[in-house]
Amino acid sequence: MSMFWIVIRQLAETGEAMATSKKVITREEWEKKLNDVQIRKEDMNKLVMNFLVTEGYVEAAEKFRMESGTEPDIDLATITDRMAVKNAVQCGNVEDAIEKVNDLNPEILDTNPQLFFHLQQQRLIELIRNGKVEEALEFAQEELAPRGEENQSFLEELERTVALLAFEDVSNCPVGELLDMSQRLKTASEVNAAILTSQSHEKDPKLPSLLKMLIWAQNQLDEKAAYPRINDLSNATLEDPAI
Amino acid sequence: MPSTSSRHELSELLAGLASNDWEVKLGALRHMKNKIIGKKDKKLDFVELGAVAAVAKTLSDALNVNGEGNPDNIKNNIIIQSATVLGSFACGFDAGAQAVINAGAFFNLARLLSIQDAKVVDAGARSLRMVYQSKLAPKYNFLQDENMKRLISLLSNENENVSGLGASIITHSCKTTAEQVALCDAGILEKLTSLLEGSISQRDASLESLATILKNNTEVVLKFVENENGRSLDSVIELAKNKYPRTRLLACICLIVIRNTCPSFLQDIGIKAKLVRTLLELLEDPCVGDEAPFAFSSLIAQKEELQRLALEASAIEKLYCQLQKDPLRPKYIEGILLALADMCSMLESCRDSFLKLEVLDLVTKALSHDSDDVCIAACICIRSVSRSVKNLCAGHFMKDTIVTPLVKLFIKSSTAVQVAALGAISNIVVDFTTRKSAFIQCGGLKELVQLSESMDGSVRSNALWALRNLIFLADNKLKEDVFIELKAPLLASLISDPEPFVQEQAMAFVRNLVDGCIDSIEYAFTDDSLILKAIGKQLQSTAKVEIRIQGMYVLSNVAAGKDSHKEAVMNQLLPQAVSIRDQYFVIRFLQSSDSQLRTATVWALLNVTHPRSDPGAFGRYIKLQEVGIITQIKNMINDPCLEVKLRVRTILEKYASFGGSLL
Repeated sequence: MSMFWIVIRQLAETGEAMATSKKVITREEWEKKLNDVQIRKEDMNKLVMNFLVTEGYVEAAEKFRMESGTEPDIDLATITDRMAVKNAVQCGNVEDAIEKVNDLNPEILDTNPQLFFHLQQQRLIELIRNGKVEEALEFAQEELAPRGEENQSFLEELERTVALLAFEDVSNCPVGELLDMSQRLKTASEVNAAILTSQSHEKDPKLPSLLKMLIWAQNQLDEKAAYPRINDLSNATLEDPAI
Repeated sequence: MPSTSSRHELSELLAGLASNDWEVKLGALRHMKNKIIGKKDKKLDFVELGAVAAVAKTLSDALNVNGEGNPDNIKNNIIIQSATVLGSFACGFDAGAQAVINAGAFFNLARLLSIQDAKVVDAGARSLRMVYQSKLAPKYNFLQDENMKRLISLLSNENENVSGLGASIITHSCKTTAEQVALCDAGILEKLTSLLEGSISQRDASLESLATILKNNTEVVLKFVENENGRSLDSVIELAKNKYPRTRLLACICLIVIRNTCPSFLQDIGIKAKLVRTLLELLEDPCVGDEAPFAFSSLIAQKEELQRLALEASAIEKLYCQLQKDPLRPKYIEGILLALADMCSMLESCRDSFLKLEVLDLVTKALSHDSDDVCIAACICIRSVSRSVKNLCAGHFMKDTIVTPLVKLFIKSSTAVQVAALGAISNIVVDFTTRKSAFIQCGGLKELVQLSESMDGSVRSNALWALRNLIFLADNKLKEDVFIELKAPLLASLISDPEPFVQEQAMAFVRNLVDGCIDSIEYAFTDDSLILKAIGKQLQSTAKVEIRIQGMYVLSNVAAGKDSHKEAVMNQLLPQAVSIRDQYFVIRFLQSSDSQLRTATVWALLNVTHPRSDPGAFGRYIKLQEVGIITQIKNMINDPCLEVKLRVRTILEKYASFGGSLL
């Protein structure tokens, strides 16, 4: 029995020792280590270009290409088309956006029932926002109801959207968030992603993944060491470790 | 029925199409395109109202016109837009594809591929690809040289829609071994492998085509695996880890096809585990469609080891989890149920897991689904799970909640559904604890007997199978109830049924019927021995060994009764009508190469001549000796089958003092 207690005590002691034995790295040491890591300019340029292209900043991408000599991995002309669609949705001109998508690639909406439903849903929201109640009802019946019939998983969202029509004060009703700009942005982002995928391009830029990796790696390292951390991603300054 | 708004819209559009002004035509086409994309209901309405023919004519006119004042780019735009509209009609929609073909547009769309305008080619290729996704597309003849050349040039084209078209054609039309070999010989495998490095759609299309060419063709699979020292196969294995779910699924399907065709490949435990895990993940992914559970089934069906791996990877839990979601598409539910059926088809551990999780409740609910295919899948699942002997014998399946919906399915008109339900019931009625009361109480017996009179042979034979299992080791009361319902004349006619499978099951039924106590044997003698005579007649004429075996076991069971029973059997064994030159069927059976038949025959002979103390036993032995049957038996003293040997020796031992030694 006593042997048991000796072992337990020993384990507790080593545990404590481990808790205080986190490695401490000073700013000086850290910065020295960082300086030793080699990063290539071309890689950074590519990341920037990738971000501009994926997010659709055509002019910026053009200028960046001229000034840095970095080649984009997709044709900038296709970005213009894609941005026209995204902007149309963001301005609430959904019908126009649909026509543009169909001109760009007629298969996208034919093979993406969820995306098409969301676009039609956005159209309905815009009609309601503009006070065109009768038109909205007709649209819901003619265009959206059949989507719900073809695919039952859309029914819930459809009901939420139609519920907007039941409220006088739409901005205060339970489904009022559908009228927010955020809903338009959500739909716009979905269309953007679908177009990118159809062009065999990555729908997400690489930059966010890198930042996520950084945060994850720091969290892992936190368990083993105290070191200068980057806490604010937007300015990326090193903050001294708390000792 | 097309809606009023559709009629109205279309008549305006058709007016636009009919205009001589090309700008107006173009406008009408673009309007129609935007009206139908993404809307199946609109496509259906427009197809019914004849829109496709009008668009096909517009395309044809534009192709055949020669300048005439209208600039080329407008003409090309009209061609592009009409092709796009036709393609959209055909997209994922069989009625649309059929309409496009019927309107004669197919040939014109193919012409677009040779036009010197990249956008026109692109539109044509896209539309044709849509048509080829439908089973109704015209078959492509690969065995013709010109066609093969054309296919190769399609696959070599840089445009992903054109190369994708080539791949779709293969997936659609390659059906026979000869075609697979022809494609392989023409170097198509290499072309498809290079497309694996292309864009997403090229990769996916190529994976589908590869699976089609490789399926069940050992020669082609060998060539593929050896291609470039295994690099082609490695590419596919890599794609099974791709980040796009659909690509992962298609790559897995390809690998499964290779494994199933040539079991010596992809035997590595790592690959097997990876396939199992990947497919189970894909089950949960909504954008992968309904194919994932079917792919999973093709991986594990009939393969114990893979079922074990899947069980360890919590496959039953995951499948159950999917089944609980709502709403689900019928095709997907069917796939999940069939996957569960495959999982439980061989291993008791899987069935245990299934029953513990109470998946059975959901599966029995599916028995009342609107879709026939879902009902069938649910029946197959229950049949698999009810192979669990311990649960079966404990009566866990003989419950009202399970039996009543199954019996309801008997009344459905589709024979496929009836057969599936019969399959499930056949197992369930093998139950010893509850005396099958749930089944009898819900009117199952009556329905079963009705099905044994069905017009469809497979329904009759499956109904008899269920009846046979129902009376297996059943008590006298149940046998009586069954016999009253079935009646001797029906049974006799089933014994002489035109379908051999029905005859076999009918005989097997009688075997179980007369087995047991002596009173049961009397059933064979009702209505002037109607049944016994039918069996004797069948034994004389049938050539099928399975029927002969069942028949002999019937005679053997009857001969286990009283003296009069044994005499009756003798009359069947030695029919009067046989002339001296013809051999008695008994002798033919004894000489059979099938040990089961020899065994059954020898049992019958043993039973007619035993016990030795029976008044007629000796007389029967002499009769058998007279016609040479005993001589035949003596030749079987050292029969390779132990059971035969023992019975033969028993017969001869008892009569040793009468004409013949054992040696």
